[in-house]
Amino acid sequence: MSVVVIGLSHRTSRVELRERFAFTNEKIPQALQALRDAGLAAEATILSTCNRVEIYAVTPLAPAAGVAELKKFLVAHHAFDGEVGDEIYGFAEPQSLHHLFKVASGLDSMVIGETEIFGQLKEAYELAFTHKHTGARLNRAFQRAFNVAKHIRTETNIQRGSVSVMSAAVELAEKIFTSLNEHEVLVIGAGETSEKTARALLSRGARSVAVTNRSPERAVALAAELGGRAVPFEQWPEEFVRIDIAISSTSANTHILDRATLEPLMRRRKNRPLLLIDIAVPRDIDPAVNELENIYLYNVDDLQSVADDYLKLRLDEVAHCEKIIAERVTALLNQQNLRRE
Amino acid sequence: MAWFTDRNYFLLAVILYGLSTLYSVFLWRKGFRRDEWVNYLLLAFGVALHTLAMTKRGLTLQTCPVNNLYEATTFLLWALGLASLVYALMPRFKFLCAFASPLLFTVGIFALMPSLDPPHGPKPEFSGALRSLHAATILQSYGAFGLGAVAAGMFLMQQHNLKFHKLRAVLSLLPSIQRLELITFRLVAVGFVLLTIGLVAGWQLPRPAGKPYFSDTKVVWSALLWLVYLELLVARQFFGRSNRKFATGVLIAFALLILTFWITNLYSALHQP
Repeated sequence: MSVVVIGLSHRTSRVELRERFAFTNEKIPQALQALRDAGLAAEATILSTCNRVEIYAVTPLAPAAGVAELKKFLVAHHAFDGEVGDEIYGFAEPQSLHHLFKVASGLDSMVIGETEIFGQLKEAYELAFTHKHTGARLNRAFQRAFNVAKHIRTETNIQRGSVSVMSAAVELAEKIFTSLNEHEVLVIGAGETSEKTARALLSRGARSVAVTNRSPERAVALAAELGGRAVPFEQWPEEFVRIDIAISSTSANTHILDRATLEPLMRRRKNRPLLLIDIAVPRDIDPAVNELENIYLYNVDDLQSVADDYLKLRLDEVAHCEKIIAERVTALLNQQNLRRE
Repeated sequence: MAWFTDRNYFLLAVILYGLSTLYSVFLWRKGFRRDEWVNYLLLAFGVALHTLAMTKRGLTLQTCPVNNLYEATTFLLWALGLASLVYALMPRFKFLCAFASPLLFTVGIFALMPSLDPPHGPKPEFSGALRSLHAATILQSYGAFGLGAVAAGMFLMQQHNLKFHKLRAVLSLLPSIQRLELITFRLVAVGFVLLTIGLVAGWQLPRPAGKPYFSDTKVVWSALLWLVYLELLVARQFFGRSNRKFATGVLIAFALLILTFWITNLYSALHQP
């Protein structure tokens, strides 16, 4: 018996197709039981996320037949009547183990190196384990996959840094301020990206948020959503004495913040650094303010460039991670062969 | 066994500081991306040998080994090396070693010049508890100023990279600039307190007859040094001097200290018994 995997992912199919094959958590134990009752698997685990639906199974059939039967099972289980071909992939050992390790490490994810999949895979495995649908083979394979993922996370740069504009802004803030929980954030212009960035800063511990917007209703609504306070649009420059991070994304056609406005306010800040994140296009903040002492101004291109460089760093690490995975798969297979002997 | 003298132990320590410096160049080029222990261990072994060298010298002299320029310099470097190792245990501060080792290496090479270590008589002329306190606290204050300058260097590099959007500022595992600035301030403040204690202890020492005191090069230099660091601390704390200017001042003050330390010692009648 060997470990096989079949499934669909963001790499092979569009969301319209993936959603047709998705499993809810409540339905997974039943599906696993059905797989075993049909004699297709002695052990099985189903992973169903927004980016992938996969069945990992230890099949008593010959690997190729096992893969083919599992594909048929997936289609029949969801009563799918459309055409599917290469959208559903299938691997037998050793590729199946290689795939499992890659998935656990975030190497097969849409955002390479992301860690959410690790938790989702663990949850899927625990669900199958709790309902006694796993055995020695799958337990060992999954435990190894989790170990490899942890090893890769600590020993390589695959999960380092921010690959989105929002998280790049948070990372910059952490390079300037010792602890975000002592600092208040000002959101100028209640746009979607500024809201997301403010949320990211809050999730990393920022003390509070003040929101200002030309339309006061929107400012009040967003402030309430973020658990902060609304500031009248005419009064926001005064806030620069209190806040340490400002995110600006208004639709103004000219600079709303320039050197002449900021210079006297900076004197009142007594040398506290100020991070300005200008995500508006056209830009809200005059680039000349970056010449002022203690000001760190980043516009959307600067943040994107940080995110892009991080992504490049992650991609550069893929080969290193693949090498680690190949070694670990070989070690696991050798161990299994020894056990058989 | 004759080879294992205190000077040779110090030579081995300097070689380790040199290796650490080489490794630091590598880390610098890599952008301080990985939190690693190699540099820390190299420096730790160096400081261990350095401690052995000083202990041997102290046991031979039966007094704190701060009696000539070689001993004073090695004591200063030891204080700096040890403090670096302690600070480097703080989260994200391991790279402090990469900034401290070039200083330890270059000044260590200088200290090894034979002319700085003339042979003592049966008992060094410069001895006694108050004298030891005077010399040790002052040298420790130089160590604190040195480490402050190292932290200031880290601050200036990181601040410049952040200001001008250099990616290595984000990729590096250095502490936040706010933290680096605070550490610099604290080290300078500690150094200043130690310097003050050392100078007060020196004031209490009996003044040798026939030698000028207030016009002595070293006394004037020390008073100026005290004023320089006082100005740096007061301007930063009470007159809103910018963090960048404070860090630059700390760096320049220590560069001047290290460059003039030996010269003023050589020209001081009080410190050349």
